[in-house]
Amino acid sequence: MLPTVLLMRSQSQWAVWARRVGKVLLVAALLVFTAIVILPFLWMLQMSVKTISEVLLDPYGMPEVIQWQNYVRLMVEPRIRYYRYYFNSIFVTVAALLLCTTLSTMAGYGFGRGRYNFRFRGSLFAILLFALMLPPQIMYIPQFAMMSRYGLVNTRWSLVLLYAALGLPMSTYLMATYFSQLPTEMEDAARIDGCSDWRMFWQVMLPLARPAIATVVLLNFLNFWNELLLAVTMVTKPELRTLPAAMMMFVGEYRTQFGLAAAALVTAMLPVLILYLFLSERFTEGMTAGALKG
Amino acid sequence: MASRALALRGERRAGGRGPRRPWGAIALFIVPTMLYYVIFTVYPLLATFYYSLNNIAAMRGKLFTTFVGLENFRKLLSDPIFLRAVRNTATWGIAGPTLEMLTSTTLALLIYFKVPLHRFFRTAWFLPVLVSGVIVGLVFRWIFTYDWGLLNTVLRAVGLDALALNWLGRMDTPLWVVIFVHWWATFGRSFVLLLAGLTAIPENLIEAAYIDGASTLQAIWGVVLPLLRPTFVTVLMLSFMGKMRAFNVVWVLTKGGPVHASETVATYVQKRAFYWHTLDLGYPSAMAVVWFGVVLVSVALLNRWLQSRIKY
Repeated sequence: MLPTVLLMRSQSQWAVWARRVGKVLLVAALLVFTAIVILPFLWMLQMSVKTISEVLLDPYGMPEVIQWQNYVRLMVEPRIRYYRYYFNSIFVTVAALLLCTTLSTMAGYGFGRGRYNFRFRGSLFAILLFALMLPPQIMYIPQFAMMSRYGLVNTRWSLVLLYAALGLPMSTYLMATYFSQLPTEMEDAARIDGCSDWRMFWQVMLPLARPAIATVVLLNFLNFWNELLLAVTMVTKPELRTLPAAMMMFVGEYRTQFGLAAAALVTAMLPVLILYLFLSERFTEGMTAGALKG
Repeated sequence: MASRALALRGERRAGGRGPRRPWGAIALFIVPTMLYYVIFTVYPLLATFYYSLNNIAAMRGKLFTTFVGLENFRKLLSDPIFLRAVRNTATWGIAGPTLEMLTSTTLALLIYFKVPLHRFFRTAWFLPVLVSGVIVGLVFRWIFTYDWGLLNTVLRAVGLDALALNWLGRMDTPLWVVIFVHWWATFGRSFVLLLAGLTAIPENLIEAAYIDGASTLQAIWGVVLPLLRPTFVTVLMLSFMGKMRAFNVVWVLTKGGPVHASETVATYVQKRAFYWHTLDLGYPSAMAVVWFGVVLVSVALLNRWLQSRIKY
């Protein structure tokens, strides 16, 4: 009896110990994995604060002193003047966001509230959502031809218009889902007071929809800020390029300017990273709500 | 009987407020968006199909159209670059999602079961998704450079010189570099989606399994995974479709090279339509149409195959 009890006890102690070690090993493995995932970011940061000679001689060592010259050169050098591309990206992104958010909130309201239901509403909504299956390749050639015909090639407006179109289906879906879940008490009360549809939308429902709008704006900001295909196709004039298109110069003419390039990459990433660090929940919530219906 | 008569006259619908629908408001809210959609999405979609049947030269803002019927499609079948691109993209479409689903599901399960530091890991693994494809492509271009790239430097430092290949310069490795880099940039998204799917599973079901004496692994196999299945399928579809159309990372990393070794349908369409100045928009349109059809059929087949394997 006694030896058996002793044996049982040491067995369970061993199991606890093994489980603990297993956990530590697992976490260690995950840390290594995460380090590899983060490595490119860290390396970029490090390269951006080194001088050219430091980069060429020793790409992986820490710099002696943190050099900000790359960032300065980026903005100041006459043939680069990076701030122009920043401005272009901001212009295009903000304008497209305004357009897309306006259209999608209104449409989301129309598709989401029960009051506005009609026989073909479901089908129209489905047609709108069909676009989510479409790859950009199946649309962008005629889109280019359209822009060409109306003289919008090589203007920032071509990107504004096309980006808004890009974000419309998903944004409308998110807004419609959100609006369909809002209770009707406020509407009923306001309607008794004689509120018109537009005022209802503008003064009652829109303020209630702020969380959904924030999600939509964040998601679209990410997509518009990082978009490359349309940016490189519609706009070839160097000074009008958005950041992704402009960064292509580091694959081409400025291929060897690694420090400069690293600084350019870090600068371009900054807005999205900062937004993410503050609003990470919104990001993931938006992506999951869009992809996993119900 | 009376209410049916009323319904036939179309005057009252159940739950409606008042006798008539607010058509003015409906139009106000829905029409602008649908109009915009038709102009900038539906029309270009249909136009691509039209273009694919023509030879379209775009010069100085005008289009010169010549009808060629199915000629473009015939040419596609004997175009070696296109066939190469199809092979590459198809390989990517199989290998990519497999790698991505395996890793993302494992990671999602680990975070769901609250491995230590799970909050930190969650944030970290999503970071690559936020970064533009250009940035990803550029950094990994440097990492995979033969002479001084990070990968080869590390390999040489540990004595594995033989593995320090010319990753982006050979004919057989660039595609796999692309697949790996793209995985780096997108696994975070699948991970987040799968995690959301996991958190939607009612906890009492898992608890019930534990009460019945199941170990964690048994609970995962028997309860969690089957319930995760719908989300898993959705994420798999999204991943697959994403690989079929991916452009940013490939374009910057290899631009489809060297000599079409890593050419994908997306990069080839871009080259034919806008990069090589071949002055014909019909041929790349035909490419886009064919590939769209291929992806649609593949998704349908994939869906059917996955649904039929439900083994409750």
